[in-house]
Amino acid sequence: MFDIRSYRQQIILQITVTIAVIPFLIPIYAMVSRSLDGRGWGNYLAVLEVPGFARFFLNSAIIAGASILIVYFATLMAAFGFSKLRVRNKEVLFWMMMAALTLPEVVLIAPLYTTAVQLGMLGTFWSVILPIAALQIPFAVLLTRGYVDGIPDALFEAARLDGANTWRMFWSILVPMAKPMAVAIVVLILIFAWNAYLLPKVFLINDDMGVVTLLPEFFKRQYNDDTPKVLAAAVITAIPTVVAYIALQRHFERGLAGGAIK
Amino acid sequence: MTIVDKSINEVSSKGSKRGGWPKRATHLVPGGLRWILPGFILSVGLIYYSIIYSGYLSFFEWGGGRGAMTPVGFDNYAQAFTDPTFWTALRNTFVYFFAVFGVQVAGGVLFAAALHSKIYLSNLYKVIIVIPVVVAPATMAQAHIQVWQTDGVLNTILSSLGFESLVQSWIGQSSTSLLVITLVGCWGAVGFGFILFYAAMAQIDPEMLEAARMDGAGNLLILWSVVLPSLRPVTVSLAILNFITALRLFDNVWLITQGGPAGSSEFLGTIIYSETAGTQRNLGYAAALSMILLVIAVSTAVAIQLRGREKVLSVKGQRKRQAKRAQKEETNV
Repeated sequence: MFDIRSYRQQIILQITVTIAVIPFLIPIYAMVSRSLDGRGWGNYLAVLEVPGFARFFLNSAIIAGASILIVYFATLMAAFGFSKLRVRNKEVLFWMMMAALTLPEVVLIAPLYTTAVQLGMLGTFWSVILPIAALQIPFAVLLTRGYVDGIPDALFEAARLDGANTWRMFWSILVPMAKPMAVAIVVLILIFAWNAYLLPKVFLINDDMGVVTLLPEFFKRQYNDDTPKVLAAAVITAIPTVVAYIALQRHFERGLAGGAIK
Repeated sequence: MTIVDKSINEVSSKGSKRGGWPKRATHLVPGGLRWILPGFILSVGLIYYSIIYSGYLSFFEWGGGRGAMTPVGFDNYAQAFTDPTFWTALRNTFVYFFAVFGVQVAGGVLFAAALHSKIYLSNLYKVIIVIPVVVAPATMAQAHIQVWQTDGVLNTILSSLGFESLVQSWIGQSSTSLLVITLVGCWGAVGFGFILFYAAMAQIDPEMLEAARMDGAGNLLILWSVVLPSLRPVTVSLAILNFITALRLFDNVWLITQGGPAGSSEFLGTIIYSETAGTQRNLGYAAALSMILLVIAVSTAVAIQLRGREKVLSVKGQRKRQAKRAQKEETNV
């Protein structure tokens, strides 16, 4: 974007950007260096040896996995219906779904807490998975419908002439063709579910149902504010998302940028 | 959400033209209602149910559990509007929004432009900027405390640079607690702005930039008058997304300042949480606050959207007029 004509300009740009990213590194540096205080890597070992530590990761994986499965199928099916099938008042239904896009999840906790108590669902994974899926479906449907609209109708017509029913069209044409969009959505939901804090904090009240975002607080209780260990736990929790981001960089950015890239 | 809105418009216009099947075959197209229903029932059902139930709850006083629900009319709303903490939270929300949005747009545009230029290690810079977006705020909060606490990294840096007078208890005093929350918010937000602007800049026609350069425009002039106007839709979406983020802010505030000291960094999210799951709770009050929040969120989103679109339209109109004038001049010649 910037036109660089001389070595001097090149060096100035390089130095400016290097200085500009330093503030982004400070908290990460503080976290890692402080987590090594005292016993060094021993802090990490101590954290890993705490009974029930793996449980937090397993719980987060269960919630993320179930949310992804639900959103993936609900979204692909809905995008197929909205884009390629005959539905009465299609656009009205679509807009009703899109109206939910501006909704912050904090608005849901009072009514959902009450409902969960009445139904005895407080402290079950469903009480977190269902709201996460409900909040993510509208955006996922919006992205996927736009993508599915780009798949030529002729493909589906040809399949129909060859005697394929709707199920067959869904599995053999839509699912494989919508793969690039689906990967972006999976990554997006993974990050959202893995990083969710408010919903698990309100609904998963049992200690053995904690998720990774609740780990630092758990360690604060466990160790009476042994900061290096709390930070070591935080570093371990952050690793999966950072690795996932670096490995799936392009898909991830496409998911976030959504409709902006066309 | 302009991105969102743009694609909704595209989607619906496609629906009538390209999407769907040719008219003559309409009766042959299989019905799709049952394909839509699972997602529709889950998302629309759960969300609309929650909003309606919230509206109902907001007329009661209820401590949750087996406690009795006492109907109180509009008392919860009256309580909110007369509670100074509510107004502090609302003010904090707006301060947070304007500061974070400004930093996000400026930082995002500059980083995106710099990394689209000829620069070494661009992928490393990119990862550094985007990591704050992908790591859970609840996880990073512990790290931010290490930076901002009294014997933390920031104060160490300040005193080693000779600014002893600036060393202070950033988190623990009401004059700076909001500043800490806002800067932590900026830390996490710039990367998101960067991703969107980076993607949008890739769509700009290089010939347009080349033409501007031939006319003698410098880097900053090009950034200001060629690149920025084409980023407008992304900026409008960011404004809406940021506003909603500010309205629902919870994780950072709860873990870093707990809304304190003395309620100075309280946000709507933290009040609603305390009223829903705290020790002295009133779910009716939490529901009333949720309804107020919802009204603010929807009306602001619509307002930003309308304003943003107006400007885009007027720019388009101007361009059309300019094109016509140019055509006329050409024919005159």
